Amino acid sequence: MLKLMKYELRKTWFIKLILLGVTAVAEIIFLIGLYGRYEDTLAVGTFLLFLLAFCGLTVIGIASVVVLHRDMNTRQGYMLFMTPNSCYKILGAKVLECGISILLAGAFFFALGALDVSLVFARQGMLNLMWQRIQEALSHMTFAGRPIQLNLSVYIALGFSILASWFSTVMTAYLADVISSALLNGKKFNGLISFLIFIALSWGLGKLIALAVDGIRDIVPYLWVYSLCSLAVAAVMYWITARIMEKHLSV
Amino acid sequence: MNFDPMTPIWLQVATRLKQQVATGALRPGAKLPGGRDLALQFGINPNTAARIYQELEREGVCDTRRGLGTFVTDREDRILALREEMALQALRRFMTDLSGLGMGAGDAIQLIQKEENTK
Amino acid sequence: MITSKQLTRKFGSKTAVDRVDLTLEPGHVYAMLGPNGSGKTTWMKMAAGLMKPTGGEILYDGQPVGISSRRFVAYMSTEPYFYNWMTVGDVGKYYQDFFEDFSMEKFERLLQHMELETGMKTRTLSSGMMAKLKIAVTMARDAKVYMLDEPFNGIDLLARDEIRRCILEEAKPEKVLILSSHLVEEMEAVADRAVFIRQGKLIEVRDLEEMRERDGVSMADRYREIYGHVEG
Repeated sequence: MLKLMKYELRKTWFIKLILLGVTAVAEIIFLIGLYGRYEDTLAVGTFLLFLLAFCGLTVIGIASVVVLHRDMNTRQGYMLFMTPNSCYKILGAKVLECGISILLAGAFFFALGALDVSLVFARQGMLNLMWQRIQEALSHMTFAGRPIQLNLSVYIALGFSILASWFSTVMTAYLADVISSALLNGKKFNGLISFLIFIALSWGLGKLIALAVDGIRDIVPYLWVYSLCSLAVAAVMYWITARIMEKHLSV
Repeated sequence: MNFDPMTPIWLQVATRLKQQVATGALRPGAKLPGGRDLALQFGINPNTAARIYQELEREGVCDTRRGLGTFVTDREDRILALREEMALQALRRFMTDLSGLGMGAGDAIQLIQKEENTK
Repeated sequence: MITSKQLTRKFGSKTAVDRVDLTLEPGHVYAMLGPNGSGKTTWMKMAAGLMKPTGGEILYDGQPVGISSRRFVAYMSTEPYFYNWMTVGDVGKYYQDFFEDFSMEKFERLLQHMELETGMKTRTLSSGMMAKLKIAVTMARDAKVYMLDEPFNGIDLLARDEIRRCILEEAKPEKVLILSSHLVEEMEAVADRAVFIRQGKLIEVRDLEEMRERDGVSMADRYREIYGHVEG
């Protein structure tokens, strides 16, 4: 399993390296803006970092699906499918590698964000005031008619639910790609059909999960139930995807 | 060795080995390579090679000694007989060629005489 | 050792392999012959577990071909398939990681004979070098079944001799090898049986020496007899 994961990482490391590089550039812009007191540069840097934080995770997920697609539809797939590993193991390695990458990337951006914020505090006392204002605005947010207590448990639940949701999204993308690959067997528009199936599945599963969380009034339990449902759905999709791969293998 | 793909390969290799014994290229009593090694040496399938020693043994060209391997016969009389057999085969080919040219045994003897005189 | 029973594979309306009953027995080297598109590659891929049959079954040692049979079956496809970020050495390490029967020492020895170096990137290999690499990595495995699809294509004379030597070295009583090639002459001495396939159907399986003895024809001649157009 670890060996499979090692190669999954090597298949995607290039994208991750680029992501790291671009983030480094954005961080430099941010730091120049901060320490050189160039407000516009600071704004650009901050914006880029936020953008990268959101897009970065998406890119990692997409890269993983693209690799799966390539493995299922091109000659390079021989490398993977000629090894004495079941499709469950192969898919599992992909899921784990992607999941861990997303987790680490998420943690990385979170830590970077925390670092940058504390740098801002240290550098400009004025922003401290702005930060207080933001906090104030956030505290007025409500959920289901009740004000939110912005404490640690909320942040943890939120973080977990974001990761669970990413995980489930990637799993949906895998399933969509495998379905279209099995149906079309590498013919044209494979990618497009894959995307359409993904949209359809996401919508359907979104409705399903909405049913599950319906009626929960408190934000923390809501987030946890949402997370667990997402993960449960992801697990079912994993099983289905591996089964389809096993049955319809044809490289 | 280049093979004629239309005739049995084992036969071609066996003939080659017989030639080597007849000319002395393979010394009497010399150890012959094992079946698999023979196959590798000549670039042929091991199953094909297996038949070769069987036949050669039947013809008295070699002997297989259990646990030791296959050896060229050290019996002079057999080697002489083999040489004569190969010579006769060459002769028959020669006579066939001559008869194609309309010549017979008498012509053959004259031709040989002529060749010897020019040496 | 490998038995296919009524093995069938369809692609939409096209039948690539049509109810083939074929048994490959250990201790033999089979030459699989037939024109392009006759179903040779598809049969091999099903035997390697890279493709599922649409009908019939294919067994290794009595069990359906699948994950565990891949441990004992070494398949080499016609096309290049290595990841393009790999070096020659990486390819070896990959095989070592996933196949217990892979011998790095044998691989390196074969690379030497084929004049390939571990540092070369697969991306920059010429088609001839790629072909040699595929053979080297496949034959460095100590598999029970070797299936080589077009092992002689695009390879220079000396390397072809080397490949034939490799094949003969593995021609052991407990193993079976099947080679598919258009270069029929290359296989005349190495194979001892020939499998003729046409339009997905098995035509015949012949013992080569017996064919030569009885009919006085070579494998190439028989090929022409089977697939050639009858001239008036």
